[in-house]
Amino acid sequence: MISVKNLTKRYNSSQGDIEAISGINLKVAAGEIFGIIGPSGAGKSTLIRTLNLLEKPTKGEIIIDNTELTSLSAALLRKERQKIAMIFQHFNLLSSRTVRGNVSFPLEIAGIAKKERKQRVKRLIELVGLSDRADHYPAQLSGGQKQRVGIARALANDPQVLLSDEATSSLDPESTKSILKLLSRIRDELNLTIILITHEMEVIKEVCDRVAVIEAGKIIEEGTVLEIFSKPKKPLTKKFIKSVIDFELPPRVAEYLSDSQHKPGILLRVSFLGENTHQPLISYLVKKFDIDANILYGNIDEIQRVPFGTLVIDLEGKKEKLSASIQFLQEQGLQVEVLEGESIT
Amino acid sequence: MNQLLNFLFRYNQLILEGLQETMYMVGLSLLFAVLLGVPLGVITTITREDNIFPNKAINNLLNGVINIGRSIPFIILLVAVIPFTRMIVGTSIGTTAAVVPLALAAIPFMGRIVDNALLEIDQGVIESAEAMGATPWQIVYKVLLPEALPAIILGITLTAISLVSYSAMAGAVGGGGLGDIAIRYGYQRFKLGIMIETIIILVVVVQLIQWAGNKLANSFDHRN
Ligand SMILES: Nc1ncnc2c1ncn2[C@@H]1O[C@H](COP(=O)(O)OP(=O)(O)OP(=O)(O)O)[C@@H](O)[C@H]1O
Ligand SMILES: [Mg+2]
Repeated sequence: MISVKNLTKRYNSSQGDIEAISGINLKVAAGEIFGIIGPSGAGKSTLIRTLNLLEKPTKGEIIIDNTELTSLSAALLRKERQKIAMIFQHFNLLSSRTVRGNVSFPLEIAGIAKKERKQRVKRLIELVGLSDRADHYPAQLSGGQKQRVGIARALANDPQVLLSDEATSSLDPESTKSILKLLSRIRDELNLTIILITHEMEVIKEVCDRVAVIEAGKIIEEGTVLEIFSKPKKPLTKKFIKSVIDFELPPRVAEYLSDSQHKPGILLRVSFLGENTHQPLISYLVKKFDIDANILYGNIDEIQRVPFGTLVIDLEGKKEKLSASIQFLQEQGLQVEVLEGESIT
Repeated sequence: MNQLLNFLFRYNQLILEGLQETMYMVGLSLLFAVLLGVPLGVITTITREDNIFPNKAINNLLNGVINIGRSIPFIILLVAVIPFTRMIVGTSIGTTAAVVPLALAAIPFMGRIVDNALLEIDQGVIESAEAMGATPWQIVYKVLLPEALPAIILGITLTAISLVSYSAMAGAVGGGGLGDIAIRYGYQRFKLGIMIETIIILVVVVQLIQWAGNKLANSFDHRN
Protein backbone atom coordinates (compact mmCIF):
# COMPACT_ATOMS: atom_id res chain seq x y z
CA MET A 1 0.00 0.00 0.00
CA ILE A 2 2.77 2.39 0.93
CA SER A 3 6.23 2.28 -0.47
CA VAL A 4 8.91 4.80 0.34
CA LYS A 5 12.19 4.82 -1.54
CA ASN A 6 15.37 6.58 -0.56
CA LEU A 7 13.45 9.42 1.07
CA THR A 8 15.65 12.32 2.13
CA LYS A 9 14.77 15.71 3.53
CA ARG A 10 17.39 18.38 3.98
CA TYR A 11 16.60 21.67 5.69
CA ASN A 12 18.72 24.63 4.66
CA SER A 13 19.05 26.99 7.54
CA SER A 14 21.40 29.84 8.28
CA GLN A 15 23.30 27.61 10.72
CA GLY A 16 23.95 25.15 7.93
CA ASP A 17 22.10 22.22 6.41
CA ILE A 18 20.35 19.62 8.49
CA GLU A 19 19.47 16.27 7.03
CA ALA A 20 16.37 15.49 9.06
CA ILE A 21 15.83 12.15 7.32
CA SER A 22 18.27 10.43 5.02
CA GLY A 23 17.66 7.57 2.65
CA ILE A 24 14.58 6.10 4.27
CA ASN A 25 13.13 2.96 2.68
CA LEU A 26 9.82 1.56 3.86
CA LYS A 27 7.14 -0.82 2.70
CA VAL A 28 3.83 -1.00 4.50
CA ALA A 29 1.17 -3.52 3.53
CA ALA A 30 -2.56 -2.74 3.30
CA GLY A 31 -4.32 -3.12 6.62
CA GLU A 32 -1.11 -2.97 8.59
CA ILE A 33 -0.45 -0.77 11.59
CA PHE A 34 3.12 0.32 11.20
CA GLY A 35 4.86 2.12 14.05
CA ILE A 36 7.84 4.41 13.82
CA ILE A 37 9.61 5.09 17.06
CA GLY A 38 12.61 7.25 17.80
CA PRO A 39 13.98 9.76 20.25
CA SER A 40 13.31 13.49 20.02
CA GLY A 41 14.84 15.04 16.93
CA ALA A 42 15.24 11.70 15.16
CA GLY A 43 13.15 12.88 12.23
CA LYS A 44 9.83 11.16 12.98
CA SER A 45 7.64 14.18 12.33
CA THR A 46 9.64 15.07 9.24
CA LEU A 47 9.20 11.55 7.90
CA ILE A 48 5.45 11.36 8.43
CA ARG A 49 4.93 14.89 7.12
CA THR A 50 6.79 14.10 3.92
CA LEU A 51 4.49 11.14 3.35
CA ASN A 52 1.60 13.45 2.42
CA LEU A 53 3.97 16.12 1.17
CA LEU A 54 3.25 18.62 3.92
CA GLU A 55 7.04 18.68 3.77
CA LYS A 56 8.57 18.49 0.32
CA PRO A 57 11.23 15.79 0.20
CA THR A 58 14.67 16.70 -1.13
CA LYS A 59 15.02 13.29 -2.73
CA GLY A 60 13.15 10.03 -2.99
CA GLU A 61 9.83 8.53 -3.94
CA ILE A 62 6.58 8.09 -2.08
CA ILE A 63 4.16 5.61 -3.61
CA ILE A 64 0.77 5.30 -1.97
CA ASP A 65 -1.78 2.99 -3.55
CA ASN A 66 0.23 2.85 -6.79
CA THR A 67 0.45 6.62 -7.13
CA GLU A 68 3.78 8.34 -6.93
CA LEU A 69 3.11 11.52 -4.97
CA THR A 70 6.19 13.68 -5.48
CA SER A 71 5.56 14.08 -9.21
CA LEU A 72 1.88 15.07 -8.93
CA SER A 73 0.57 18.52 -9.82
CA ALA A 74 -0.87 20.60 -6.98
CA ALA A 75 -4.44 19.79 -8.00
CA LEU A 76 -3.85 16.04 -8.29
CA LEU A 77 -1.98 16.03 -5.01
CA ARG A 78 -4.98 17.64 -3.28
CA LYS A 79 -7.19 14.89 -4.69
CA GLU A 80 -4.78 12.22 -3.41
CA ARG A 81 -4.58 13.85 0.00
CA GLN A 82 -8.28 13.25 0.53
CA LYS A 83 -7.38 9.55 0.63
CA ILE A 84 -4.48 10.05 3.04
CA ALA A 85 -5.89 11.12 6.36
CA MET A 86 -3.86 12.52 9.20
CA ILE A 87 -4.30 12.99 12.93
CA PHE A 88 -2.16 15.24 15.07
CA GLN A 89 -0.72 15.54 18.54
CA HIS A 90 -2.52 18.83 19.13
CA PHE A 91 -5.68 17.73 17.31
CA ASN A 92 -5.77 20.84 15.09
CA LEU A 93 -9.55 21.18 15.19
CA LEU A 94 -11.33 24.31 14.03
CA SER A 95 -12.23 26.20 17.18
CA SER A 96 -14.99 28.03 15.34
CA ARG A 97 -16.85 24.83 14.48
CA THR A 98 -18.69 22.29 16.60
CA VAL A 99 -17.86 18.59 16.57
CA ARG A 100 -20.38 18.19 13.76
CA GLY A 101 -18.88 21.12 11.85
CA ASN A 102 -15.36 19.79 12.22
CA VAL A 103 -16.29 16.35 10.93
CA SER A 104 -18.21 17.94 8.08
CA PHE A 105 -15.22 20.04 7.03
CA PRO A 106 -13.32 17.46 4.93
CA LEU A 107 -16.59 16.47 3.24
CA GLU A 108 -17.21 20.08 2.26
CA ILE A 109 -13.71 20.18 0.81
CA ALA A 110 -14.41 17.06 -1.18
CA GLY A 111 -17.60 18.65 -2.47
CA ILE A 112 -20.05 16.12 -0.98
CA ALA A 113 -23.69 17.21 -1.26
CA LYS A 114 -25.29 18.54 1.89
CA LYS A 115 -27.74 15.73 2.43
CA GLU A 116 -25.18 12.98 2.18
CA ARG A 117 -22.77 15.03 4.25
CA LYS A 118 -25.21 15.19 7.12
CA GLN A 119 -25.73 11.44 7.14
CA ARG A 120 -22.04 10.67 6.95
CA VAL A 121 -21.22 13.12 9.72
CA LYS A 122 -23.78 11.51 11.95
CA ARG A 123 -22.41 8.05 11.27
CA LEU A 124 -18.82 9.12 11.85
CA ILE A 125 -19.67 10.80 15.14
CA GLU A 126 -21.41 7.62 16.23
CA LEU A 127 -18.41 5.55 15.17
CA VAL A 128 -16.13 7.43 17.55
CA GLY A 129 -18.73 7.50 20.31
CA LEU A 130 -19.38 11.22 20.52
CA SER A 131 -23.06 11.45 19.61
CA ASP A 132 -23.90 13.23 22.85
CA ARG A 133 -21.23 15.86 22.16
CA ALA A 134 -22.06 16.59 18.51
CA ASP A 135 -22.96 20.22 19.15
CA HIS A 136 -20.10 21.01 21.50
CA TYR A 137 -17.18 23.17 20.49
CA PRO A 138 -13.65 21.72 20.77
CA ALA A 139 -12.92 23.95 23.77
CA GLN A 140 -15.64 22.09 25.65
CA LEU A 141 -14.08 18.66 25.09
CA SER A 142 -11.39 16.66 26.86
CA GLY A 143 -8.17 15.77 25.05
CA GLY A 144 -9.34 12.24 24.38
CA GLN A 145 -12.65 13.48 22.99
CA LYS A 146 -10.85 16.01 20.78
CA GLN A 147 -8.74 13.24 19.33
CA ARG A 148 -11.90 11.25 18.65
CA VAL A 149 -13.17 14.21 16.65
CA GLY A 150 -9.80 14.26 14.87
CA ILE A 151 -10.23 10.58 14.00
CA ALA A 152 -13.84 11.00 12.83
CA ARG A 153 -12.73 13.90 10.66
CA ALA A 154 -9.81 11.88 9.29
CA LEU A 155 -12.12 9.02 8.31
CA ALA A 156 -14.68 11.25 6.61
CA ASN A 157 -13.55 10.75 3.03
CA ASP A 158 -12.99 6.98 3.37
CA PRO A 159 -9.22 7.16 3.32
CA GLN A 160 -7.02 4.17 2.65
CA VAL A 161 -4.19 5.44 4.76
CA LEU A 162 -4.14 7.13 8.15
CA LEU A 163 -1.03 8.98 9.30
CA SER A 164 -0.79 9.59 13.01
CA ASP A 165 1.72 12.14 14.24
CA GLU A 166 2.07 11.49 17.98
CA ALA A 167 -1.72 11.33 18.25
CA THR A 168 -1.66 10.16 21.86
CA SER A 169 1.35 12.08 23.12
CA SER A 170 -0.63 14.78 24.84
CA LEU A 171 -3.18 12.41 26.37
CA ASP A 172 -3.29 10.75 29.77
CA PRO A 173 -2.68 6.97 29.89
CA GLU A 174 -6.39 6.21 30.11
CA SER A 175 -7.33 8.24 27.01
CA THR A 176 -4.25 6.93 25.23
CA LYS A 177 -5.46 3.37 25.72
CA SER A 178 -8.94 4.15 24.46
CA ILE A 179 -7.68 6.05 21.41
CA LEU A 180 -5.32 3.18 20.54
CA LYS A 181 -8.21 0.75 20.91
CA LEU A 182 -10.26 2.89 18.57
CA LEU A 183 -7.45 2.97 15.99
CA SER A 184 -7.08 -0.76 16.20
CA ARG A 185 -10.85 -1.19 15.79
CA ILE A 186 -11.14 1.05 12.75
CA ARG A 187 -8.22 -0.74 11.17
CA ASP A 188 -10.10 -4.02 11.57
CA GLU A 189 -13.42 -2.61 10.38
CA LEU A 190 -12.19 -0.49 7.51
CA ASN A 191 -9.01 -2.34 6.57
CA LEU A 192 -7.19 0.94 6.97
CA THR A 193 -3.41 1.15 6.67
CA ILE A 194 -2.04 3.12 9.59
CA ILE A 195 1.39 4.64 10.03
CA LEU A 196 1.90 6.05 13.45
CA ILE A 197 4.87 7.76 14.94
CA THR A 198 5.53 7.90 18.62
CA HIS A 199 8.29 8.16 21.15
CA GLU A 200 6.52 5.74 23.48
CA MET A 201 7.21 2.01 23.19
CA GLU A 202 3.97 1.36 25.02
CA VAL A 203 2.06 2.63 21.98
CA ILE A 204 4.01 0.33 19.67
CA LYS A 205 3.41 -2.61 21.96
CA GLU A 206 -0.28 -1.84 22.22
CA VAL A 207 -1.32 -1.55 18.56
CA CYS A 208 1.43 -2.01 16.01
CA ASP A 209 2.06 -5.02 13.81
CA ARG A 210 5.45 -3.89 12.65
CA VAL A 211 7.83 -1.25 13.86
CA ALA A 212 10.81 0.71 12.60
CA VAL A 213 13.26 2.36 14.96
CA ILE A 214 14.58 5.65 13.66
CA GLU A 215 17.67 7.40 14.94
CA ALA A 216 19.33 10.51 13.50
CA GLY A 217 17.22 10.35 10.34
CA LYS A 218 17.90 6.71 9.55
CA ILE A 219 15.98 3.51 10.19
CA ILE A 220 18.30 1.43 12.34
CA GLU A 221 16.09 -1.57 12.97
CA GLU A 222 12.84 -2.89 11.59
CA GLY A 223 10.64 -5.92 12.08
CA THR A 224 7.45 -7.30 13.53
CA VAL A 225 6.75 -6.03 17.00
CA LEU A 226 7.27 -9.54 18.38
CA GLU A 227 10.66 -9.84 16.70
CA ILE A 228 11.80 -6.47 17.92
CA PHE A 229 10.65 -7.14 21.45
CA SER A 230 12.14 -10.59 21.68
CA LYS A 231 15.39 -10.00 19.80
CA PRO A 232 16.29 -6.33 19.86
CA LYS A 233 19.67 -5.71 18.28
CA LYS A 234 20.50 -2.03 18.62
CA PRO A 235 21.13 -0.38 22.01
CA LEU A 236 18.48 2.26 21.30
CA THR A 237 15.90 -0.43 20.62
CA LYS A 238 16.83 -2.18 23.85
CA LYS A 239 16.47 1.08 25.70
CA PHE A 240 12.97 1.60 24.31
CA ILE A 241 11.94 -1.91 25.24
CA LYS A 242 13.26 -1.48 28.75
CA SER A 243 10.86 1.40 29.15
CA VAL A 244 7.87 -0.92 28.89
CA ILE A 245 9.19 -4.27 30.01
CA ASP A 246 11.03 -4.23 33.23
CA PHE A 247 14.30 -6.09 32.89
CA GLU A 248 15.77 -4.63 36.00
CA LEU A 249 15.90 -6.96 38.96
CA PRO A 250 13.83 -5.73 41.85
CA PRO A 251 15.93 -4.63 44.87
CA ARG A 252 14.81 -7.70 46.81
CA VAL A 253 16.39 -10.00 44.22
CA ALA A 254 19.51 -7.92 43.86
CA GLU A 255 19.95 -8.02 47.59
CA TYR A 256 19.54 -11.78 47.67
CA LEU A 257 22.21 -12.11 45.02
CA SER A 258 24.74 -9.92 46.72
CA ASP A 259 24.27 -11.98 49.86
CA SER A 260 27.32 -14.25 49.96
CA GLN A 261 25.32 -16.83 51.85
CA HIS A 262 23.62 -18.18 48.80
CA LYS A 263 25.11 -21.26 47.31
CA PRO A 264 27.17 -20.94 44.13
CA GLY A 265 25.27 -21.53 40.92
CA ILE A 266 24.35 -19.65 37.81
CA LEU A 267 21.92 -16.88 37.37
CA LEU A 268 20.03 -16.84 34.08
CA ARG A 269 17.66 -14.46 32.44
CA VAL A 270 15.35 -16.42 30.19
CA SER A 271 13.09 -14.62 27.77
CA PHE A 272 10.30 -16.49 26.14
CA LEU A 273 7.77 -15.77 23.55
CA GLY A 274 4.51 -17.44 22.67
CA GLU A 275 3.66 -21.07 23.23
CA ASN A 276 6.63 -21.88 25.46
CA THR A 277 4.92 -20.19 28.34
CA HIS A 278 2.46 -23.00 28.53
CA GLN A 279 5.06 -25.73 28.87
CA PRO A 280 6.34 -26.74 32.27
CA LEU A 281 9.93 -26.14 31.21
CA ILE A 282 11.37 -25.46 34.60
CA SER A 283 10.05 -28.56 36.27
CA TYR A 284 11.20 -30.58 33.26
CA LEU A 285 14.66 -29.04 33.64
CA VAL A 286 14.84 -29.94 37.29
CA LYS A 287 13.83 -33.53 36.69
CA LYS A 288 15.95 -34.14 33.61
CA PHE A 289 19.20 -32.55 34.73
CA ASP A 290 18.90 -33.12 38.43
CA ILE A 291 19.46 -29.55 39.40
CA ASP A 292 17.80 -27.07 41.70
CA ALA A 293 15.97 -24.16 40.18
CA ASN A 294 14.94 -21.14 42.05
CA ILE A 295 12.74 -18.58 40.31
CA LEU A 296 13.80 -15.18 41.54
CA TYR A 297 11.75 -12.96 39.36
CA GLY A 298 9.21 -13.28 36.62
CA ASN A 299 7.32 -10.99 34.35
CA ILE A 300 4.80 -11.94 31.72
CA ASP A 301 3.34 -9.49 29.27
CA GLU A 302 1.32 -9.75 26.13
CA ILE A 303 2.23 -8.34 22.76
CA GLN A 304 -0.54 -8.74 20.23
CA ARG A 305 -2.12 -11.45 22.37
CA VAL A 306 1.10 -13.44 22.34
CA PRO A 307 2.56 -14.00 25.79
CA PHE A 308 6.00 -12.55 26.20
CA GLY A 309 7.95 -12.93 29.40
CA THR A 310 11.16 -12.88 31.28
CA LEU A 311 12.28 -15.12 34.09
CA VAL A 312 15.31 -14.72 36.28
CA ILE A 313 16.28 -18.12 37.64
CA ASP A 314 19.02 -19.31 39.86
CA LEU A 315 20.26 -22.79 38.92
CA GLU A 316 22.36 -24.91 41.20
CA GLY A 317 23.95 -28.22 40.45
CA LYS A 318 26.88 -29.87 38.75
CA LYS A 319 28.79 -27.79 36.26
CA GLU A 320 28.15 -29.95 33.21
CA LYS A 321 24.48 -30.29 34.15
CA LEU A 322 24.19 -26.54 34.27
CA SER A 323 25.66 -26.00 30.84
CA ALA A 324 23.49 -28.79 29.48
CA SER A 325 20.48 -27.01 30.98
CA ILE A 326 21.38 -23.80 29.20
CA GLN A 327 21.72 -25.63 25.96
CA PHE A 328 18.39 -27.32 26.49
CA LEU A 329 16.65 -24.01 27.08
CA GLN A 330 18.20 -22.54 23.97
CA GLU A 331 17.08 -25.53 21.97
CA GLN A 332 13.55 -24.79 23.09
CA GLY A 333 13.85 -21.44 21.32
CA LEU A 334 14.33 -19.35 24.41
CA GLN A 335 16.66 -16.42 24.73
CA VAL A 336 19.09 -17.19 27.51
CA GLU A 337 21.40 -14.68 29.06
CA VAL A 338 23.82 -15.60 31.82
CA LEU A 339 23.82 -12.88 34.41
CA GLU A 340 26.26 -14.48 36.84
CA GLY A 341 28.56 -17.47 36.84
CA GLU A 342 29.80 -17.08 33.30
CA SER A 343 32.79 -19.34 33.89
CA ILE A 344 30.42 -22.27 33.67
CA THR A 345 29.48 -21.84 30.01
CA MET B 1 -30.47 71.07 36.48
CA ASN B 2 -33.26 71.81 34.05
CA GLN B 3 -31.58 75.02 33.19
CA LEU B 4 -28.39 73.19 32.49
CA LEU B 5 -30.15 70.70 30.24
CA ASN B 6 -31.88 73.49 28.40
CA PHE B 7 -28.58 75.18 27.99
CA LEU B 8 -27.06 72.03 26.66
CA PHE B 9 -29.84 71.17 24.26
CA ARG B 10 -30.44 74.53 22.69
CA TYR B 11 -28.77 73.31 19.58
CA ASN B 12 -30.51 69.97 19.44
CA GLN B 13 -31.36 70.14 15.76
CA LEU B 14 -27.89 71.19 14.80
CA ILE B 15 -26.25 68.45 16.79
CA LEU B 16 -28.61 65.79 15.55
CA GLU B 17 -27.70 66.69 12.01
CA GLY B 18 -24.03 66.63 12.91
CA LEU B 19 -24.43 63.19 14.44
CA GLN B 20 -26.14 61.94 11.30
CA GLU B 21 -23.35 63.30 9.15
CA THR B 22 -20.74 61.69 11.34
CA MET B 23 -22.53 58.36 11.18
CA TYR B 24 -22.75 58.64 7.41
CA MET B 25 -19.05 59.36 7.01
CA VAL B 26 -17.98 56.67 9.45
CA GLY B 27 -20.43 54.09 8.15
CA LEU B 28 -19.60 54.52 4.50
CA SER B 29 -15.84 54.67 4.96
CA LEU B 30 -16.01 51.66 7.29
CA LEU B 31 -17.88 49.77 4.60
CA PHE B 32 -15.08 50.48 2.12
CA ALA B 33 -12.49 49.63 4.74
CA VAL B 34 -14.04 46.21 5.28
CA LEU B 35 -14.74 45.50 1.61
CA LEU B 36 -11.20 46.36 0.54
CA GLY B 37 -9.19 46.03 3.75
CA VAL B 38 -10.19 42.42 4.46
CA PRO B 39 -9.08 41.11 1.05
CA LEU B 40 -5.96 43.26 1.32
CA GLY B 41 -5.11 41.66 4.67
CA VAL B 42 -5.97 38.16 3.51
CA ILE B 43 -3.85 38.38 0.37
CA THR B 44 -0.98 39.88 2.32
CA THR B 45 -1.06 37.00 4.77
CA ILE B 46 -1.41 34.10 2.37
CA THR B 47 1.29 35.36 0.00
CA ARG B 48 3.84 35.30 2.80
CA GLU B 49 6.66 32.82 2.53
CA ASP B 50 5.61 29.52 4.18
CA ASN B 51 1.95 30.42 3.92
CA ILE B 52 -0.67 28.78 1.74
CA PHE B 53 -0.12 30.85 -1.39
CA PRO B 54 3.46 32.13 -1.31
CA ASN B 55 4.18 34.96 -3.72
CA LYS B 56 6.99 37.25 -2.82
CA ALA B 57 6.22 39.94 -5.39
CA ILE B 58 2.58 40.37 -4.40
CA ASN B 59 3.45 40.18 -0.74
CA ASN B 60 6.10 42.88 -1.00
CA LEU B 61 3.78 45.11 -2.99
CA LEU B 62 0.83 44.83 -0.57
CA ASN B 63 3.02 45.13 2.46
CA GLY B 64 4.43 48.31 0.95
CA VAL B 65 0.96 49.68 0.22
CA ILE B 66 -0.16 49.02 3.79
CA ASN B 67 2.96 50.52 5.32
CA ILE B 68 2.90 53.64 3.17
CA GLY B 69 -0.84 54.11 3.70
CA ARG B 70 -0.41 53.82 7.42
CA SER B 71 2.56 56.12 7.70
CA ILE B 72 0.97 59.19 6.04
CA PRO B 73 -0.45 61.48 8.75
CA PHE B 74 -4.19 61.76 8.23
CA ILE B 75 -4.19 65.53 8.12
CA ILE B 76 -1.78 65.39 5.16
CA LEU B 77 -3.70 62.65 3.42
CA LEU B 78 -6.81 64.78 3.79
CA VAL B 79 -5.29 67.55 1.73
CA ALA B 80 -3.21 65.42 -0.60
CA VAL B 81 -6.15 63.45 -1.96
CA ILE B 82 -8.29 66.48 -2.81
CA PRO B 83 -7.67 66.15 -6.57
CA PHE B 84 -8.49 62.46 -6.40
CA THR B 85 -11.65 63.18 -4.41
CA ARG B 86 -12.76 65.74 -6.97
CA MET B 87 -12.21 63.19 -9.66
CA ILE B 88 -14.49 60.57 -8.18
CA VAL B 89 -17.01 62.56 -6.12
CA GLY B 90 -17.04 65.71 -8.22
CA THR B 91 -16.36 67.97 -5.28
CA SER B 92 -13.91 68.10 -2.39
CA ILE B 93 -16.39 69.57 0.08
CA GLY B 94 -19.13 67.82 1.99
CA THR B 95 -19.62 64.57 3.82
CA THR B 96 -19.46 62.36 0.74
CA ALA B 97 -16.18 63.93 -0.27
CA ALA B 98 -14.86 63.33 3.25
CA VAL B 99 -15.50 59.62 2.85
CA VAL B 100 -12.69 59.37 0.29
CA PRO B 101 -9.75 60.27 2.55
CA LEU B 102 -11.38 58.43 5.47
CA ALA B 103 -11.68 55.23 3.46
CA LEU B 104 -8.16 55.65 2.09
CA ALA B 105 -6.82 55.87 5.62
CA ALA B 106 -8.96 53.04 6.96
CA ILE B 107 -8.28 50.46 4.22
CA PRO B 108 -4.58 49.88 4.99
CA PHE B 109 -5.32 50.09 8.71
CA MET B 110 -7.93 47.36 8.35
CA GLY B 111 -5.58 45.41 6.08
CA ARG B 112 -2.89 45.26 8.73
CA ILE B 113 -5.39 44.30 11.41
CA VAL B 114 -6.69 41.41 9.31
CA ASP B 115 -3.14 40.36 8.44
CA ASN B 116 -2.26 40.23 12.15
CA ALA B 117 -5.46 38.41 13.05
CA LEU B 118 -4.81 35.72 10.46
CA LEU B 119 -1.23 35.25 11.57
CA GLU B 120 -2.50 34.47 15.07
CA ILE B 121 -4.23 31.32 13.83
CA ASP B 122 -2.51 28.11 14.86
CA GLN B 123 -0.35 26.91 11.96
CA GLY B 124 -1.37 23.33 12.76
CA VAL B 125 -5.01 24.03 11.98
CA ILE B 126 -4.12 25.41 8.56
CA GLU B 127 -1.82 22.49 7.95
CA SER B 128 -4.52 19.98 8.80
CA ALA B 129 -6.75 21.60 6.16
CA GLU B 130 -3.91 21.33 3.64
CA ALA B 131 -3.44 17.69 4.57
CA MET B 132 -7.13 17.13 3.79
CA GLY B 133 -6.62 18.49 0.30
CA ALA B 134 -8.22 21.92 0.75
CA THR B 135 -7.48 24.53 -1.91
CA PRO B 136 -6.00 27.87 -0.81
CA TRP B 137 -9.38 29.50 -1.45
CA GLN B 138 -11.17 26.89 0.69
CA ILE B 139 -8.64 27.46 3.43
CA VAL B 140 -9.30 31.20 3.29
CA TYR B 141 -13.05 31.08 3.61
CA LYS B 142 -13.47 27.91 5.65
CA VAL B 143 -10.50 28.18 7.99
CA LEU B 144 -8.78 31.56 8.08
CA LEU B 145 -11.76 33.90 8.10
CA PRO B 146 -14.00 31.89 10.49
CA GLU B 147 -11.13 31.20 12.88
CA ALA B 148 -10.07 34.85 12.92
CA LEU B 149 -13.60 36.25 12.97
CA PRO B 150 -13.61 37.39 16.62
CA ALA B 151 -10.29 39.19 16.11
CA ILE B 152 -11.50 40.69 12.83
CA ILE B 153 -14.68 41.99 14.47
CA LEU B 154 -12.60 43.63 17.18
CA GLY B 155 -10.43 45.06 14.42
CA ILE B 156 -13.46 46.51 12.65
CA THR B 157 -14.53 48.01 15.98
CA LEU B 158 -11.13 49.61 16.39
CA THR B 159 -11.26 50.93 12.83
CA ALA B 160 -14.75 52.34 13.39
CA ILE B 161 -13.60 54.20 16.50
CA SER B 162 -10.56 55.58 14.73
CA LEU B 163 -12.85 56.71 11.94
CA VAL B 164 -15.04 58.58 14.41
CA SER B 165 -12.10 60.65 15.51
CA TYR B 166 -10.69 61.04 11.99
CA SER B 167 -14.13 62.10 10.77
CA ALA B 168 -14.02 64.98 13.22
CA MET B 169 -10.82 66.08 11.55
CA ALA B 170 -12.25 65.60 8.07
CA GLY B 171 -15.31 67.53 9.15
CA ALA B 172 -13.22 70.47 10.15
CA VAL B 173 -12.02 70.91 6.59
CA GLY B 174 -15.48 71.05 5.12
CA GLY B 175 -16.92 67.64 5.72
CA GLY B 176 -19.56 68.45 8.30
CA GLY B 177 -20.35 66.21 11.20
CA LEU B 178 -19.92 66.61 14.93
CA GLY B 179 -16.27 67.55 14.75
CA ASP B 180 -17.09 70.37 12.41
CA ILE B 181 -19.76 71.65 14.80
CA ALA B 182 -17.46 71.39 17.79
CA ILE B 183 -14.86 73.49 16.05
CA ARG B 184 -17.07 76.02 14.33
CA TYR B 185 -19.42 76.70 17.22
CA GLY B 186 -17.50 75.57 20.24
CA TYR B 187 -14.01 76.68 19.42
CA GLN B 188 -14.40 79.55 16.98
CA ARG B 189 -17.52 81.10 18.53
CA PHE B 190 -16.75 80.24 22.13
CA LYS B 191 -19.98 78.29 22.63
CA LEU B 192 -18.70 76.03 25.34
CA GLY B 193 -22.07 74.23 25.68
CA ILE B 194 -21.97 72.96 22.15
CA MET B 195 -18.40 71.91 22.51
CA ILE B 196 -19.20 69.90 25.63
CA GLU B 197 -22.31 68.42 24.14
CA THR B 198 -20.58 67.20 20.99
CA ILE B 199 -17.79 65.75 23.04
CA ILE B 200 -20.26 63.91 25.27
CA ILE B 201 -22.02 62.54 22.23
CA LEU B 202 -18.75 61.41 20.67
CA VAL B 203 -17.76 59.69 23.91
CA VAL B 204 -21.11 57.91 24.04
CA VAL B 205 -20.87 56.88 20.37
CA VAL B 206 -17.39 55.46 20.91
CA GLN B 207 -18.51 53.58 24.02
CA LEU B 208 -21.47 52.13 22.16
CA ILE B 209 -19.35 50.99 19.23
CA GLN B 210 -16.85 49.33 21.56
CA TRP B 211 -19.59 47.67 23.58
CA ALA B 212 -21.36 46.31 20.52
CA GLY B 213 -18.06 45.16 18.99
CA ASN B 214 -17.05 43.30 22.13
CA LYS B 215 -20.44 41.66 22.37
CA LEU B 216 -20.42 40.55 18.76
CA ALA B 217 -16.84 39.31 18.88
CA ASN B 218 -17.62 37.33 22.02
CA SER B 219 -20.60 35.65 20.44
CA PHE B 220 -18.34 34.28 17.70
CA ASP B 221 -15.53 33.27 20.01
CA HIS B 222 -15.64 29.59 20.97
CA ARG B 223 -12.01 29.21 21.92
CA ASN B 224 -12.82 28.75 25.58
N1 LIG C 1 11.46 23.43 9.44
C1 LIG C 1 12.67 23.00 9.85
N2 LIG C 1 13.79 23.71 9.56
C2 LIG C 1 15.00 23.29 9.96
N3 LIG C 1 15.22 22.16 10.66
C3 LIG C 1 14.16 21.40 10.98
C4 LIG C 1 12.83 21.78 10.60
N4 LIG C 1 11.98 20.84 11.06
C5 LIG C 1 12.73 19.91 11.70
N5 LIG C 1 14.04 20.25 11.65
C6 LIG C 1 15.16 19.48 12.22
O1 LIG C 1 15.08 18.16 11.73
C7 LIG C 1 15.38 17.23 12.74
C8 LIG C 1 14.23 16.26 12.90
O2 LIG C 1 13.09 16.94 13.42
P1 LIG C 1 11.71 16.22 13.67
O3 LIG C 1 10.74 17.26 14.07
O4 LIG C 1 11.36 15.40 12.49
O5 LIG C 1 12.04 15.29 14.90
P2 LIG C 1 11.08 14.34 15.74
O6 LIG C 1 11.65 12.98 15.65
O7 LIG C 1 9.68 14.52 15.31
O8 LIG C 1 11.28 14.89 17.21
P3 LIG C 1 10.21 15.09 18.38
O9 LIG C 1 10.01 13.75 19.01
O10 LIG C 1 10.90 16.03 19.31
O11 LIG C 1 8.96 15.66 17.80
C9 LIG C 1 15.68 18.04 13.99
O12 LIG C 1 17.07 18.15 14.11
C10 LIG C 1 15.05 19.37 13.71
O13 LIG C 1 15.76 20.39 14.35
MG1 LIG D 1 7.84 15.33 16.25
